Amino acid sequence: MKKNTFYIVFGCIALALLAIFWYSIELHTPLFIEIAFIVGIILVFLAKRNVSDFISDERDVKITEQATIRTMQVFWVIFCAFSILAVMEILRVPTFPRPEFPGRVPDILPPRMMGYIQLGLLCFMVFLYVGFRIYYAKKYGDFETDEE
Amino acid sequence: MKNKIRIFRAMHDLTQEHLADAIGVNRQTILAIEKERYVPSLDLAFKISRYFGVNIEEVFIFEENVPTFASK
Repeated sequence: MKKNTFYIVFGCIALALLAIFWYSIELHTPLFIEIAFIVGIILVFLAKRNVSDFISDERDVKITEQATIRTMQVFWVIFCAFSILAVMEILRVPTFPRPEFPGRVPDILPPRMMGYIQLGLLCFMVFLYVGFRIYYAKKYGDFETDEE
Repeated sequence: MKNKIRIFRAMHDLTQEHLADAIGVNRQTILAIEKERYVPSLDLAFKISRYFGVNIEEVFIFEENVPTFASK
């Protein structure tokens, strides 16, 4: 399989997953999209293995490696910082009496909002990874041009 | 790390594409090495120098001063 054919296959799988996602919402069956997502990823993986003109050399591996490490280094700090807040909210620790709020201390964040923010942070991780990947690709000469 | 890949390519009348195909890397990797944006692994450096039929030190120049055993 050629590289361009792989991109077409990848696009088709992504579109199919989007349709299944929509259908899954209509049916109120999250299991449907979850299974489809896993199958989709396996199909992409199998298709990628059959691409003949796709060369992944040591520089590509290094770019991916560096981007992944940096993403995790930044992400875990942000995610843990927020999660500490979330845990404190859920467990109500510390519960010192405050004169301005007699009785129950009001929520900073409702639990549902915490979930949404954590989901948002997970999406942010993807953007973080893409950003670092572009940075390291540039650092290791991916956008260099010459006379040839 | 400096290198003479461009000179060796010119001597053998090779394009970056040809060299990249011969040693199994992307053309962009050859370009990045030539422009000193990327330092290749020892394995790749050996492959490149072997391809040109020369020693690794004829292609790659290590300029850093490292204390030798004899200097101690």
